[in-house]
Amino acid sequence: MTPAISVTGLTRRYRDHLALDEVTFEVEAGSIVGLLGRNGAGKTTLLRILAGQEFPSSGGALVHGGRPAENEAVLRRLVFVREDQTYPDIRVRHALLAASWFYPNWSAELADALLADFGLPAGRMVKRLSRGMRSALGIAIGLAARAEVTLFDEPYAGLDAVARQIFYDRLLADYAEHPRTILLSTHLIDEAAGLLERVIVIDRGRIVLTADADDLRGVATAVSGPVLAVDEFTAGRAVWGRRRLIGQSSVVVVGALDEADRVRAGSLHLDLAPLTLQQLVVQAAGQPAGARERTSA
Amino acid sequence: MKTWRDVARYHLLVPRPLLLMPWVVLTAGFLVNLQSAIRAPASRHSAAYAAHHNTGGAAVIYFYFFVIGVIIIGRSLPFGLTLGASRRSYYAGTAALGVALAVADGLALAALQAVERATDGWGVGLNFFRAPYILDGPWYQTWLTSFVGLALVFVYGMWFATVYRRWSLVGVVAFSIAQVVVVTVAILALHSAGAWSGVGHFFAGLTAVGLTGLFAGLAALLLAGGQATIRRATV
Repeated sequence: MTPAISVTGLTRRYRDHLALDEVTFEVEAGSIVGLLGRNGAGKTTLLRILAGQEFPSSGGALVHGGRPAENEAVLRRLVFVREDQTYPDIRVRHALLAASWFYPNWSAELADALLADFGLPAGRMVKRLSRGMRSALGIAIGLAARAEVTLFDEPYAGLDAVARQIFYDRLLADYAEHPRTILLSTHLIDEAAGLLERVIVIDRGRIVLTADADDLRGVATAVSGPVLAVDEFTAGRAVWGRRRLIGQSSVVVVGALDEADRVRAGSLHLDLAPLTLQQLVVQAAGQPAGARERTSA
Repeated sequence: MKTWRDVARYHLLVPRPLLLMPWVVLTAGFLVNLQSAIRAPASRHSAAYAAHHNTGGAAVIYFYFFVIGVIIIGRSLPFGLTLGASRRSYYAGTAALGVALAVADGLALAALQAVERATDGWGVGLNFFRAPYILDGPWYQTWLTSFVGLALVFVYGMWFATVYRRWSLVGVVAFSIAQVVVVTVAILALHSAGAWSGVGHFFAGLTAVGLTGLFAGLAALLLAGGQATIRRATV
């Protein structure tokens, strides 16, 4: 089967920097994938190319087997919600009306329900909306479009926790009824972790990690306790960071721990804490260039 | 193949700048001119006087169409592309809308010109909708010339905004300079070839309809230029 998204050797060079550097990955149809990385890592550029708004310098991106740029067969099956969307001088209901013309699977009921959920006034001019409300409008368009490929770029800037929860709930509920491929770029990693089936971590224009979210659970564990006990426990294991503080030490051990490991850790009075997705991403993307050490698990 | 129509509808979500404002601008210009014509000595309130005095006031609507051409790309393109219109469809739909507006407004201008003529310049010798030579023929010729003229300035404005989208301010400056250079080179070339008298004869023999045809050709050229520019524009 053709993957929903297929990116091969994708490079985007701007005059003074390399935004994307030989990016290659695939996303299967019918999954929710997190696109994670720091500011300026290249997430938005990647999504803009997937949506046909930007052009690659070399390499290419295919959506349902077709190049998106200037290809309406692809563009009609794709919706892109971007954080910095600019709108003409229209009202909220105009924006939704226009979207209903362009998306063949548009659900007016869902759009209305989302408007009510977020408390978005349909008659308000979009330019008079607060930042959070503008994000809510983008989310409403992105979900109600029910496009086969849905790209969210930091969709909830300025949204409060309650509204973000509404987004997660609505997304999951509608996804269950109308499966589609969702690529979600976000900084709020742990918050969205429960949603994600797969993660792609991008750093300085390069893919540094792609994995199933399930495989990442328990892939690394923070081991902390007395220095000597920690050293004994971690001897011969692949480790990431090592922190010491007056007789105590904390080390991230890479690789799953088995029951015998846990018993041993207990007898050494060590604390074991599995790394959250966010901590993993920080490990994968958070290191200065060249300092990434022993990341092979 | 219906995306371009959706693009035109999308622009009409905000109808005021497209449908109403040209006439607000034109009416304002007309009222100012009417006022000064009324205050003028009564000797000027005649068809004979009007025939030789033109305010050229209707030109404001052409200027306004240029402005619409600029803002319709500048303000509405990003969301239009986000909605999944291709640049091609966006451009086609926008240009089609501009041409349709030019047809409708050109017809209105021709009708107003007919009224102006029938009332001897609104009773006060005002020559607002007539211009010697170019807008001085029968109503259908005025319609044709107005329509082509409005469409011409509209696509010119569209091209400017597209250049700005693609290459920002530096691009617009370079684009403007390039136009001056093209015109200057053409003039110098004609000059050095000693071809001025030929050019003079050409324009002397050119009818208003012929000139309208030249405008239409120029509009087609600008339209193609804008199309080529928007193909690689990013948002």
